[in-house]
Amino acid sequence: MDRTKPADSGSALVSSILAGQNADGGWGYQGGASWTEPTVCALLALQTTGCLTPRVERGIRWLRGLQRPDGGWPPQPSVDQSTWVTALAVLALGGQPRDAARDRGVAWLLGQTGRESTWVEKLRSALRGEKVETGAGTTGWPWLPGTAAWVTPTVFALLALEHAGSQVEAGAVRAREEMGRAFLLARACSGGGWNHGGARALGYAAPAYPETTGQALLALRGCQSPEVSKALARAEQFLPLSRAPQTVSWLRLGLAAHGRRTQRTEGKFRFRGVMDAALVLLADAAEGGANVFPG
Amino acid sequence: MSFPDERRGLRRRDLLCGGAATLLLGSCAPRRKSADRPRVSIIKAASYSGELAGTIRRALREHGVQVSGKRVLLKPNLVEFDPGAAINTHPAVVYAALEAFRSLGAAQVRIAEGPGHRRNTWELAEAAGYFEAVPGFESQFTDLNLDDVRRISLPHANSTLREIYAPQTALEADLIVSMPKMKTHHWVGATLSMKNFFGLVPGGVYGWPKNVLHWAGIPECIADLHAAFPKHFAIVDGIVGMEGNGPIQGTPKTAGVLVVGSDMVAVDATCCRIMGIDPAGVRYLRLAERRDQTAAPGVQQIGEPIAAVVTPFRLLPQFRALRLSGDLSAKEKVDDPRSRS
Repeated sequence: MDRTKPADSGSALVSSILAGQNADGGWGYQGGASWTEPTVCALLALQTTGCLTPRVERGIRWLRGLQRPDGGWPPQPSVDQSTWVTALAVLALGGQPRDAARDRGVAWLLGQTGRESTWVEKLRSALRGEKVETGAGTTGWPWLPGTAAWVTPTVFALLALEHAGSQVEAGAVRAREEMGRAFLLARACSGGGWNHGGARALGYAAPAYPETTGQALLALRGCQSPEVSKALARAEQFLPLSRAPQTVSWLRLGLAAHGRRTQRTEGKFRFRGVMDAALVLLADAAEGGANVFPG
Repeated sequence: MSFPDERRGLRRRDLLCGGAATLLLGSCAPRRKSADRPRVSIIKAASYSGELAGTIRRALREHGVQVSGKRVLLKPNLVEFDPGAAINTHPAVVYAALEAFRSLGAAQVRIAEGPGHRRNTWELAEAAGYFEAVPGFESQFTDLNLDDVRRISLPHANSTLREIYAPQTALEADLIVSMPKMKTHHWVGATLSMKNFFGLVPGGVYGWPKNVLHWAGIPECIADLHAAFPKHFAIVDGIVGMEGNGPIQGTPKTAGVLVVGSDMVAVDATCCRIMGIDPAGVRYLRLAERRDQTAAPGVQQIGEPIAAVVTPFRLLPQFRALRLSGDLSAKEKVDDPRSRS
C-alpha cells in the first residue's frame, strides 16, 4: 500500500487492509512475509469496524498457528523465539472466558521481566557500586527475553493483561500491572511524555517521542498522577506537529484514553502499510467512543 | 539506563593497553609496504552545498571500487531528529553517494536504515531532510527494521551472540556502504562506520532499542557485525560531526572532511585520529583489527594529511583518557603522504 488518503475515509482503509492480506492469512509490514505485529493491528482494526469476515478468521488462524510451545509468539514465522509480540497476540485473541492459547500467552507474559530488575543484575550492579536507576524497584517488560524493560513492550503487556487477565491468575496479573504502571511512571521524561524508555542517558534529560507518549498514556488510562498530567499536555503539543499516520494515531489513542477529544486531522496522510491504516481506524473508533483495547 | 555494555564499553585496561600499543607501534613497529596497508582517503569538504557527487566519485575511482551491474546499499545513520543538532548523516552526502555509485554503473542503489530508537523511520527521514534532498526518495528507501529477515551465523563471535537475524535487503546487497556521521559516543568513545552497522539489525525482531546487542556487549557486537557483512565500504560524513555527549545529545562540531575507504577499521581509526581520539583505546577497533589498522603506520593515508584536518572533538570525562596526547601534528607527520618521496 503506498498512497495518499484523506484521514477519514474509513471504508477505503478497511478495503486497503483486506487487500494487503497474504495468502497465509497474515499481513506484512511493507508487503512481504506475514509478521505478528501488523497482523494483530489489522485484525484489531477490522474487528473494531465490525468487519468479521472469513478473512478475519483466516488471520486469527494464522496467529493461533504461530504460537510457540512455550506459550509465546515470535515476531515472524522464521524467528524461533517468543518476544514482546506475545502481548499483541493475546490482545487479538479476545476476552473470551476460555481460550487456552490466550491463557498460555498470558502465562508467558507473566514470566517476563526486564533483566535489570532481576536479583542477579541488581546484585551485580550493587557489587560494582553502580548508581541506582530511575524506577528501581519497578519492573516492566522487555522486547526480548533476557534484556531490559522498555516503554513499548510494557505498554502492550499491560494492555494485554488488562484485556485477558481478568480471566486468569487474577492476583498475579494485578501485581504485575501495578509494577508495570509504576515502571512507566518512573520512566517519564522530565519535560513530559515518554521516549523509548531512557528518560535520562548518563544523567542528561532525554526528550519524549510522540508515539511512545501516546502509547504510555493509553496504558495508563484511569491513572491520575503528575506524570500523566504533564504527558497529556505534551501529547497535545505533539499532535499538531506530527504528520505520520501511526504517530498521530498513537497520540489520539492516548489522549482519547483520558477523555481528551482531539481535532480530527484535516490534512492528508501518506499511508505506507497496513499498520498506518489499522491505527488510523483504531484511533477513529476510540474517538468515536469505542473501547478498542478493552480492559 | 545502565547496562553491561556501558561498563564493557571502555575499560581502564583498554586505555592502558591502547596507550601502550600506540607508543610501541608509533615508535618501533616496522613500516609495512604501501601495498599491504589499507588505503583511507581524507577529503576536505567545507560544506554540504559543494560538488559532493564528483568528490565522492573521484574517491571511489581512487579506491578502485567496481560496482558495474552490482546492487549497492547506502546505509546512512538516522537516529533521532533535532533541528539544532548534527545527529544524522546529512542527506546531501547520501544523495551525492547515490549519484556517484549510479554514475559508476551500479545496477541498483538503495538507501536503507533501521534506526534504533524511533519506530517511524519514514517520519524520521522526512524530518532529517531526506525527502527534500533525494529526488524520488520514497521509491529508493527500505526500512531495514521492517524488512523480511533471514538468520545468519556470526563468523567471528566476540560477543555472546552466535547468530543474528538480518534484513534480506542487506543480505542481498553486493556492497553495503556505511555512511555514518562522525560522532563521539557516550558508551564506546566514537561512533563511525562500524558502529553504524547496528542499523542493519532489524528492530522488527529485536525491538527499539536493539537492547540484545547491549547485553551481548556493544564493542563485541560492533566487531561481530563488521565481520558478518564483509562486502562493505565506508564514507564518513565529517563535514559537521558531533562532539561531547554523542551520539544524540552532543553538540555540532565542524571537521570539514569526508573520510573514505574499504577497510572500515582503518577508516574509523583515521576518523578517531582526526577527532583527537586514540584509536588504540577504542575497544571495538582492537577487536576487529587484523592488520594493525588502528596504528597510523598501518594505514596508507591518501588525500589530506591528518595533521591538516585534525579537529579535536570534546570528549565526555570518562573518555578523556582516549585523547591523543603530545604534538599531534608532529606525530602524524610520519603519515603525511606529502612528506613521502
